[in-house]
Amino acid sequence: MRVNPNFSDDILSDLYQAQSQEETALQQLASGKLINLPSDNPAGAAELVQNQALQDQTDQYEQNTSVVEGQLQTADSALSSVVDSLNQAISLGTQGANGTNSQADLDAIAQQVQGIQNQVVQLANTSYQGNFIFSGTATSTQPYTLDSSAPDGVTYNGNTDTNTVEVADGNSVQTNLPGSQVFQGTGGDVFGALQQLITALQSGNTATIGAATTAVSTSLNYLSQQRVFYGNGVDQLNSNQTFLQSEQVNLQSEENTVDGANLAQASTNLSNAQTTQSAALAALAKVIPQNLLQYLS
Amino acid sequence: MGTLNTAMWIASQALDVDQGAMDVTSNNIANASTPGYSREVVDLTEQTPIESGNLTVGTGVSLEQIQSVRSQVLSLLISQQTTQQNGSQTQLNGLQQVEGLFSDPTSGIGANLSAFFNSISQLSTDPSNGAQRQSVMTAAQNLVTSFNQAAQSLGTIQSGLNQSVSSTVNQINSLTQQIAQINGQVGQMEQLGKDPGSLLDQENQLINQLSQLTNVNEIQTENGLTLTTGNGTALVVGNQSFALQVGNGPTGMQDVFSQGQDITSTIQGGSLGGAIQVRDQDIPGILTQLNTLASQFATSFNNAQAQGYDLNGNVGQALFSFNASGAAASLSLATTDPDAIAASSDGTSGSNGNIANLMAVETSPLPSGVSPTDAYANIVAQSGNLASQAQAEVTASTSSLNQLNDQLGEISGVSINEETTNLLNYQTAFSAAARVVTTVDQLTQDVLNMGSGVTAS
Repeated sequence: MRVNPNFSDDILSDLYQAQSQEETALQQLASGKLINLPSDNPAGAAELVQNQALQDQTDQYEQNTSVVEGQLQTADSALSSVVDSLNQAISLGTQGANGTNSQADLDAIAQQVQGIQNQVVQLANTSYQGNFIFSGTATSTQPYTLDSSAPDGVTYNGNTDTNTVEVADGNSVQTNLPGSQVFQGTGGDVFGALQQLITALQSGNTATIGAATTAVSTSLNYLSQQRVFYGNGVDQLNSNQTFLQSEQVNLQSEENTVDGANLAQASTNLSNAQTTQSAALAALAKVIPQNLLQYLS
Repeated sequence: MGTLNTAMWIASQALDVDQGAMDVTSNNIANASTPGYSREVVDLTEQTPIESGNLTVGTGVSLEQIQSVRSQVLSLLISQQTTQQNGSQTQLNGLQQVEGLFSDPTSGIGANLSAFFNSISQLSTDPSNGAQRQSVMTAAQNLVTSFNQAAQSLGTIQSGLNQSVSSTVNQINSLTQQIAQINGQVGQMEQLGKDPGSLLDQENQLINQLSQLTNVNEIQTENGLTLTTGNGTALVVGNQSFALQVGNGPTGMQDVFSQGQDITSTIQGGSLGGAIQVRDQDIPGILTQLNTLASQFATSFNNAQAQGYDLNGNVGQALFSFNASGAAASLSLATTDPDAIAASSDGTSGSNGNIANLMAVETSPLPSGVSPTDAYANIVAQSGNLASQAQAEVTASTSSLNQLNDQLGEISGVSINEETTNLLNYQTAFSAAARVVTTVDQLTQDVLNMGSGVTAS
């Protein structure tokens, strides 16, 4: 039986194969990735595109969450100051309604309440990153201006629209309440009550002062209810932040499952390929000079 | 009865034959490493014996012919497999460049798509912010650029392959010319009844080179070899060759013509077929997907723009523009004004009500049925699939080719051991025949000196 005397082609092709295995293993070790070209795993490469998009999106959701959280916290702390001011106004009203004050005293109290009204207007004009947060979506318009001719003593210049921001897939949070709802709702009118109290104090009628103080108290209750919106929003965003972080971990571990090279495996492959290669080389070196001529002298 | 002369004649004949056999052995050994060489064997036969009385006496040996040992079937299979292997290899080389364009998930169209939508998502937290609007425009420009670059790079690969088509056709023409020339010489030798061994080896070697370039059909006829293209048009008939031409095809690419007929689509395998496959099928396929993605994405986004209002309270205008032919290459920004992003749903600058519509483009299916990111992921998978298929074909056809070459080597390869053994045999036979000559010479002298006291010298 004849065999192919030109076996060096076969051994060479084995050598090439070992070399290419060596290259693959080296590349995996160097990059830490299984998929260095789409052809390494076409379906996996497509998955990586989607995974990368989701990771980027999750990053963005995290950023959105902290920006919105900042805005809600700013609104909440402004409203907390409004609550303090209203409490102050209620004490002043109670003091004015106790029947022991001269008109001069009452006028002085009315002055203080006016100061409180100014403060509340300023608080209602709070802005976050240059945008007014109580003017609906008209964020470039200052929501409240003092207006002695208006029944509430102020004019609302904003609109009644709201914005929402997506902070996770299918999860959008409302980022604002219009000032007209927070400060001048049907359940309580902060500016109306304050104006009522000022007018009552100036009139000197104890009963009217008492009624106006009650109105301020009612508006305080209403405002506190509105404030809950912001508190809830912050809570929701906090838990969303936690969710997003675990989501990010999930996505990264998914990426690693698809693309992460098993370094132990890759180094084993590398040394296997090297062994194969040196074995083939040794065989080649031994076999090529082997022929009958060596045994003739 | 035999005579001394007969013995002398037989021995000298044997010397000639052994010398001839040693020549063949020597030639085999000399060509042991020559690519395409088929070993030659000597055909030794007994001379016709003569009848002498009731005895039949042998008259020695003769060298009947020198024959190349070849297998036409295997040569044919090797040619076909070579065509396939080279076709896959050329295809793989082209497709590896293509998949390289889509290999990094952190850059390119995919990454720029998500960066674009993320910048819009960012804008939703502060829709009137000029800096954030500008970053949306920057992200949009990056996205447009990555579409343009992908289309452009595909075009560059395509035109590189296009150039290789004309240079390959030139090589084919030069090979068919040489083959026709040898074919003519082979025909002449065969008419004279000679073995055209080494010419056939050369011809096979040239056909093998031709098979690396394109698929050819080999037909053995009485007038020698006929080679045709896969389509059946003649390349070589007898000592005549027919050149292929290149010319502009309907797609503006170089098409291949054989005697006036456009045979481009029938060329399969070989580096010519591989290049044509990638140039005319694989790259246009990916480019079509890319164009569909670009045009459908741009249209959807422009529609979403129209549902809202820009920073100045005007109805949203198109952000992207493109030409229907080659959307990916021609995609551009219709405006560079950051105010143009239609974030607002009520016309006020602080409203972000339309951003939900803009963002919906990222996740909603395009008319093609999948979201933009998924459409891009499909393109990545497609480029990978094509390359890995070509890789698998290269591996399979290479191992099959190795096996065929092994089989041919078993038949036609020169074994140094075998040749050395033969050499020793012929050497021994030659020495023995020489000794016969000396012995007969001695005997002849003895005969001449018979009966005389003087020794003839």
